[in-house]
Parts: sequence; structure tokens; C-alpha cells
Amino acid sequence: MKNATQVFLRRLPVTLIAAVVIWLLLRPAIDTAVAGLAQTLIRSFEYPRVTRLVVEDHQAQMRRTDLRTDSKVPSVSMTEVTFNTIVLLALYLALPHPFSRRQLERLFMGWCVLYLSQSINLLFHVKTLYAMGLGEWSQHHYSDLARNAFGFGRYFTDLPGRFSFPFLIWLGFNWDVVMKMLGIQEETPRKPKTKKKTSGRG
Amino acid sequence: MNLRELWQKPEARFLILFLTILGVSFTVVALRQVNDAFVTPYTAVIARMSGFVLRIFGEEAVVTGCVVSSPRFAVTIYNGCNGLITSLIFISGVLAFPAKISAKLIGVIGGLLTIQLINLVRIVSLFYIGVFLPQHFNDAHIFVWQSLVIIAGISLWIVWAHKFALPQESS
Repeated sequence: MKNATQVFLRRLPVTLIAAVVIWLLLRPAIDTAVAGLAQTLIRSFEYPRVTRLVVEDHQAQMRRTDLRTDSKVPSVSMTEVTFNTIVLLALYLALPHPFSRRQLERLFMGWCVLYLSQSINLLFHVKTLYAMGLGEWSQHHYSDLARNAFGFGRYFTDLPGRFSFPFLIWLGFNWDVVMKMLGIQEETPRKPKTKKKTSGRG
Repeated sequence: MNLRELWQKPEARFLILFLTILGVSFTVVALRQVNDAFVTPYTAVIARMSGFVLRIFGEEAVVTGCVVSSPRFAVTIYNGCNGLITSLIFISGVLAFPAKISAKLIGVIGGLLTIQLINLVRIVSLFYIGVFLPQHFNDAHIFVWQSLVIIAGISLWIVWAHKFALPQESS
């Protein structure tokens, strides 16, 4: 299994380039999906429901329907929110048998978790802006506790989250594969398939 | 599944420890006193090192606090660009993983030095991207170099774990 680590490390630069290409191709869809989920989450706890996140030129623009028409529209860079998809994809593709059914299922699950984390990161960006960045309006509508909570959430999902989540998700879903690859865990023989018992209920 | 059973699972134990160490370390560096006493001076040192390397390459680089400037281009080194976050994630990964104390010490020291070296290359290359391809500076800064730095940190962790980690007990 020692070679497996070397193979992984040799593959990684190639899969990184492949991951960049995939991300660049999927970027418009990823941006829209992340902004869509973040908007849904924000509006779920909002009354009246006024937040609209519109993606333009890889920026999520925070357009509130109750803002004056001449107001400036704050925006968040979607590149910063979603670039860690590249890292997750590169790590997955560098593992052995990346296109096996099991690995594709794990990639799908991992990507879903990362997507959720990116949406939550965007949510905290928007809520932090509402709680701190809109002057007297923020002071009037948000308590100190809310400001601290949203600031805390934004801080942790921002740089620490963006940098560490792909690694954590990849390792969490592929612990057995990674440990085998590192030569730490011996490969366990596969259990023979047993026939499923059909049991009736009631 | 109760907490004890969860703790018996190596992947769960690693993830819990990793997140705890990461959470504590990021909370500590977020404190204003720590930021003023450590993070800002640390970032200024990184800026001075970058300025030094740029001067070796013949640039008339001047460092003021965390800003490296020359007549051709200027970069400001923020908290996310000083290698500290990647270092903290790497250290959390090393400390959370089952290994001897001596191996962890080697990992922490070796990893920190290597990450800083990679970060130095990153800052200098970004400076030149800013000089020659300013229209690509943001892309290079965010998704190219940030991805590269994370991947480099994970690769370092993999090499370290492969060489120094303890074999797991068979359950």
C-alpha cells in the first residue's frame, strides 16, 4: 500500500487541473444553486420575506425588495464562497478507482455537504451585513447577541471553514480508503454476500 | 449510538479532535489581544520576508506594515494570505491524528516551515502576476493559489501521516 500514497500524490496535480476545469464549467450552476439555497434559508426566518440574492458576474447581489431604488447593492464574491469545490474534487479524483460506484456515491454525498456549508457561509455573509453593515437600521433591527452570533458564524464558515471543510469532508467519507492508502489500516477481506432475508411485517 | 461508541470510531475521534483543536485555535487568534500581539506582527514578518525576496529579484520593494509595494505593483497581506490558516489546519490535523508526540513535533515544525515557504512563493508569484497579468490577479489569488495552498497543506499532512502515524488497533 506504500505505493498507493505515492500514486495519490502523483495524481493530485493532474486532478487539481481537472478539478479547476470542472469547477469553471459548473461555476454558473454552482453559484446559482448556492445563492438559491442561501436565499431560501434566509427567507425561511425572515418576515416579511424581502431578501433576494441575484448572481451576476460571479457576485451574489443582496437585493432587498424594501431597499430604496437608489440604494447601493452590496455583493459577495461567489468565487471565494465556492472555490473550495476545486479542492474537494481534486482530492476525490486522486483516490483509487474514482469512478467506481462507491466513490461516486461518496463524492455525491461529500459534494452535498460542501454545498450546504457554502450556502451557510453565504447566509452568514448576508446576515452579518444586515446585522452590522447597514448603520442605524442594523442597530434597530438586530440585538448585540445576534450581531455576535452572526459574526461568529461568518468568521468560522469563512476562512477556517472554506479551507478545512473539503479536507474534512473528503477524509470523513473516505476514512477507510485513505487509511488503507497511508498503510495505517490493513485491508480487510470482503464479507461474502449473504442472501437478504425477506421478512414480512404484520 | 452513544458518545463512547462514537469515540471508539477512529474517524469520528479524529474529526471531533480536529474540529475542537481548530475551533479553539481559531477562537484564540480571533481575540483582539492575540491579533494585535501576534497575528499582525506575524503578518508583518511575512511581508518583510516577501519584500526581501522581491529585492533579491531586483524589485525596488518597500515594506510598510503588511503592505509590500514597489513602483510596479503593491500587495497587502491580510490575515487569509499569511499562511496562518493553512498552518492552523495542518497543525490541527497533525495533533488530532494518532501518532507519537515526537512525530507530532516533527510534523508541526516541518509543516509550519514548509507552508511558510509555499506561502512566500505564493506572495512573490502574485506580485509578478499583478505586474504582468493584472487582469488575472483576482483569479490567481483566490481560486488558483488558495486551492494550491490547501492541496499543499493536505499533501504535507498525507506525507507526514504516511511516514509517522501509528498503526491503528484492530477492533
